Amino acid sequence: MAGNEDDRADLVIDAAGVVKTYDTGEVQVHALRGVDLRVPRGEMVAVMGPSGCGKTTLLNCLSGLDGFDDGRVLINGSDITRMADNEKTDFRARGMGFIFQTYNLLPVLSAAENVELPLIVSGTRPREARRLALEALERVSLAEYANHRPAQLSGGQRQRVTVARAIVNRPSIVWADEPTGALDSGTANGIMDLLVELNADADQTQVIVTHAPDVAARCHRTIHMADGHIERDEATRPLAAAAASG
Amino acid sequence: MEDLFGIPMSTIAAVCVAITVLILVLIGVLAVRNPVMFKTGLRNIPRRRTQTALIVFGLMLATVIMTASFGTGDTVVNSVTDDVYELMGETDLTVSWDAERFPRPTAERLLPLAEADALREEFAGDPDIDGFLAVIGEALPVVSLDTQLNESGAVILGYDPAEAEPFGLLRDVDGRPIQLAGNQIAVNEDLAEELDAEPGHRLLLLYGGTPIEVEVAAIAPNSFISGAFAITAGDAPGGAMHIDALGEALGLEGFATDIFVSTTGGVRSGLDSSDAAEGELERYLADAGKPYAVSAVKKDAIDGARTAGSTFTSLFVIFGTFSIAAGVLLIFLIFIMLAAERKPEMGMARAVGARRRHLVESFLAEGMGYDLGAALVGLGAGIGVTYAMIALLNSLGFGLDLRVSFTIRSLIVSFCLGVIATFLVIFLAALRASRLNIVAAIRDLPETPPRNPEDATWRGYARSVLSAAVAAGYVIVCLLAIVRLPEARWLFTLGLIFGLVGPWIFVLRGREGRGLPRWPFALVPLIPFYLVALLIVRFARNRMANPGLPLMVLGILLPPLGLALVAGQPRERAVSWSAGYAVTGLGLAALLLEWTFASDRAVYFLLGVSLIFFWVALTLRYFHVHERLTFTVVAALLLLFWYAFPTDIFNFLTGELDTNIEIFFVSGLVMVTAGTFLIVSNADILLPAVAAAGSRLGRIVPAIKTAVAYPLTARMRTGMTIMMIGLISFSLINFSTVNANFASLFLSDDARGGFSTQVAVNGNNPIADFPALLEERGVDSSPIETAAEVRIAGANETEISDPAAPGEFRTSAVFGGDRAFLETIEMEFTIRGAGYDSDEAVWRALADEPRLAVIPASLTQGTGPFDPQGDEALRLEPLADGFQPFALTFRDPGTERETVVTVIAQLDDVADTFWPAILVRRDTLLAAFPDTSGQLFYLRTADGTDQDAFAKSIEAGLVQASAESLDQLLDDQRGATTGFLRLFQGFMGLGLIVGIAALGVIAFRAVVERRQQIGMLRAIGYQRSMVALSFLFESGFVALSGIVMGLVMGVSFAWVLFASGTMGEAAADAGFTVPWAQLAIICGIAFASSMVMTWFPSRAAAGVAVAEALRYE
Repeated sequence: MAGNEDDRADLVIDAAGVVKTYDTGEVQVHALRGVDLRVPRGEMVAVMGPSGCGKTTLLNCLSGLDGFDDGRVLINGSDITRMADNEKTDFRARGMGFIFQTYNLLPVLSAAENVELPLIVSGTRPREARRLALEALERVSLAEYANHRPAQLSGGQRQRVTVARAIVNRPSIVWADEPTGALDSGTANGIMDLLVELNADADQTQVIVTHAPDVAARCHRTIHMADGHIERDEATRPLAAAAASG
Repeated sequence: MEDLFGIPMSTIAAVCVAITVLILVLIGVLAVRNPVMFKTGLRNIPRRRTQTALIVFGLMLATVIMTASFGTGDTVVNSVTDDVYELMGETDLTVSWDAERFPRPTAERLLPLAEADALREEFAGDPDIDGFLAVIGEALPVVSLDTQLNESGAVILGYDPAEAEPFGLLRDVDGRPIQLAGNQIAVNEDLAEELDAEPGHRLLLLYGGTPIEVEVAAIAPNSFISGAFAITAGDAPGGAMHIDALGEALGLEGFATDIFVSTTGGVRSGLDSSDAAEGELERYLADAGKPYAVSAVKKDAIDGARTAGSTFTSLFVIFGTFSIAAGVLLIFLIFIMLAAERKPEMGMARAVGARRRHLVESFLAEGMGYDLGAALVGLGAGIGVTYAMIALLNSLGFGLDLRVSFTIRSLIVSFCLGVIATFLVIFLAALRASRLNIVAAIRDLPETPPRNPEDATWRGYARSVLSAAVAAGYVIVCLLAIVRLPEARWLFTLGLIFGLVGPWIFVLRGREGRGLPRWPFALVPLIPFYLVALLIVRFARNRMANPGLPLMVLGILLPPLGLALVAGQPRERAVSWSAGYAVTGLGLAALLLEWTFASDRAVYFLLGVSLIFFWVALTLRYFHVHERLTFTVVAALLLLFWYAFPTDIFNFLTGELDTNIEIFFVSGLVMVTAGTFLIVSNADILLPAVAAAGSRLGRIVPAIKTAVAYPLTARMRTGMTIMMIGLISFSLINFSTVNANFASLFLSDDARGGFSTQVAVNGNNPIADFPALLEERGVDSSPIETAAEVRIAGANETEISDPAAPGEFRTSAVFGGDRAFLETIEMEFTIRGAGYDSDEAVWRALADEPRLAVIPASLTQGTGPFDPQGDEALRLEPLADGFQPFALTFRDPGTERETVVTVIAQLDDVADTFWPAILVRRDTLLAAFPDTSGQLFYLRTADGTDQDAFAKSIEAGLVQASAESLDQLLDDQRGATTGFLRLFQGFMGLGLIVGIAALGVIAFRAVVERRQQIGMLRAIGYQRSMVALSFLFESGFVALSGIVMGLVMGVSFAWVLFASGTMGEAAADAGFTVPWAQLAIICGIAFASSMVMTWFPSRAAAGVAVAEALRYE
């Protein structure tokens, strides 16, 4: 996208030539075939494409959840390919949030305990972590469910807990893999309202893998993937225009 | 080994093989009928190799324990019988004086040599008897004039070697026949070793203080005819002389003390003619009116070896029961977890048309794969464990030389028992696993139990009771009844058939709206109340002569009624099995309580009452009474009941009940179960406390929190694992604590009674004045402060009146102490009779008055299952402090003259270590049993005396005496006790493998189950080390719960047993000691091995690839 040095300085994600191949021994699956992607601060990017095109793999590689065979990924200017495992883990804990389709909450912990997890593992004092967790739950309108366990919440509520967990450490990037995939359309809209609101309020960069055109339509930009590479990159609701429209 | 728990091994083997074949046939039929499901099951085995290895490892334990138990029994039987055959050779029977029917002093119990000739003549050409040998046998001190070495008690046998042909002749170590003439002697290998004797050496035999000089003609192997009579002891020094020479030396010319008899056939096959020969000889002696008795010495020795083998096996089986119980839990747990893992697959299979039956079949196929593999591996491991145990037994120095051997039958039984036990548990687990909701299974969601409109209603309760009774309850009740009530066997067999048919009727039951009227359901809830009423009546009335009659009637009436009603039940309606089985358990409880009254066995009472608690808990749960409250209160009350039982608090209801070794197992099982319910029901209360305590630990708080929280969400598997570890910990800790206290009770320094050296004197050469003789022989007697004499009448030399059976006489050892002994001994009395205010008063009275006696504590304690003395041994009712002194009549077996003594006190338990006998004055003993020849001296020596050196100097000076320091004797006993303790601890510790394997299985399973969650944790910032730590904490929490529960219960129950007097009055008075160091080692090993086992899955968890895990479903 942006070509000059100033633009590059404002990039949150700067990936170039990312290659990922799954080798099963007999068959090689080329999940990513040299993907280049740049995402500036505050942009909401939707990643779309048919099943098996490499959407989730791209998200995993960019976020440092998975390694890749070739290429380079800079997050906020830091090269994650050069980070050791523990370094990368801490980097995620401090600067990233994750939202998954299947919520991935710990069933044995309450909503508040689930939300405070990233804070505690990054060294925040427990009392402070709980205060921030309750604030995050307040933000997603679930303050009164703080002591409920995931099994006692509806699907939409669980996903909002996941959102609260993703934002509690005030990350610069939130990665979301099919955040509305397991929800009905009404609840899905609610979650998207929340993400859009967070994006606008906190100038947060969001990368959302989705199958749903409705979700993509609410993002600034949509990347269409096919067969391990970016087929099309289109501005749905350009960042500058969105900012101007308020 | 011929029997186990009284059941012939051949019967056990036949039944086991038949059941195993049935199982294999069943599996074969399944494979043919439904090869797809069968293959599905089998192909699951290699899917996760580590898990499969762990499963096989866990499942094999039942086989290991059975193989090791049987192997030890076989080894004992075969080693001892081999020794018996080798030692006895061709000697099968003995003929000797019948002292029971013809009382006579020992010295006069002789047989004229002509009797042997008469017998030879009478039985010439007899098909069962091929020889007689008249012998004189005496234990004499022997000293070598060449080496100056001596032996205080060698058995010297006299007979005519020429007549010993049917007995294989007396041969030397090279197999050459030995001819003896004049004062020649053939010494056996043990005596030769003792004296360093060689042919040509001159020996002195001492008899009545007179030396008899003999010359060593040859060295003979140890055997009966070379004077080796000790079958199991290490040393059997002895020798053989010509009967004429020995008879002349002992003044027994023309007489024999015994006539050896050889039956036709070889050393082993001669046993087949033993019974016939014994019968013929007895008939002949009776017809001829001869005062002799026949003793089947070889057969008795072989029977004794077999009994010893069975005893060993029974002991190991009983002590292995904890591990087997834990193993059964593990098998169930493993299959429940496998079912959880396969839930989506099973749901899919059901969705595409597989029936529940198919899932069960698939599980059975897989389970049998593990089962057969585990049984085979277990067999090999069991053989290895047997070798280790036998090596340990040999090293304990019991004088046994055990050589490992197995019978094919024992191996087959071990294998089959392992297969059968595992199959049964797998079958039950498969039934449970197959009951799933298809949609929930496919989506791997929590199972929602089907809603039952009759839930928590009396109507539903009644149907549950009926279904359970028909499906399984009566099978259990009837099987138990068939075993326990042989007179009503056919009635219960009928009940059993109904019970077996029941499940099929249940499966085939009709649909709603059709079938039979349902009004009789209303009657069913009356059953428990009827049973309770029955119990009340039983408590109030005298004990029944024919136990279980009402239950038998019920057993006949209820199943047909139940079958009919169950057949009319709607097919779709869910059944609350737990409530139903609880009532079945109540029926069983009633039966057990009936047996309590019929047999006076405490174990039935305890089990019966425990089952009533079980019924209460499950019934309250069925009616939705608060679950935590229900289980907490019922478990706490049950524990209270078990802790209270040893205090005899229930005696007003039950009377005095007999406790036995099985209490050890039952107490552990019930108490640990109750404890597990307490922990699992209340552990979530711990969670906030743990979180609060861990809040200062910063980043590892989540690891701690999840470590405690996860086990509590899977209560069943957590509970079962805690129970497994708890069972093994309880058994090891309780056993160790009880043993440590017994050791401190019996083997404390107090056992020496203030003496330091014991000197045993050969009966044929009594010593009148011990210090004077020492001086005479030039031994420095200056260290001696007091020399006290004790004369001994062994149990076989006495007859004592039984106060509980007037007119009956039993046997017991009686010791007679001289004044020095009675005035010097430092020993307390636990119970004193009326009129004796202090221990000093008792000792003074005993020394001053000739007809008083004190008894050992062992005389009033119940007989155990392995009481070696048998029915003939005298037992007295327990005494209470201040009891009225009572009379015992001593009858001399030689003259039938009676002496009455008055019992005035009971000695401390510790006195049983060296003086396990009724104690009287020396002159009283000699007057009552003038034939007795056993003589002991107890010496008190000056401080600083080297006891061992002093004992050796006594032995060197007095050829007829063997001396040992009491400290050394105590140390030897302590060593043997500790060795035995270690052996059993090691054997029971095998069960730890189960607990550890369970933790491993759970942890591996948790890694698989929580893969996605692990991925998420890693995504949000958990480092690998924290993931691993979380898993380690989790296993640590479960392991610690089990270990701490076992520790608390094991120690506290041991304390209750000691403090309540169940282990004897002295135990109640003595201070209770806890062997903390030993317990720390046990707990430490258990915990450390748990952690090592969990380390592998925790590493696996830490190594989970994040992106892959997040995709994982």
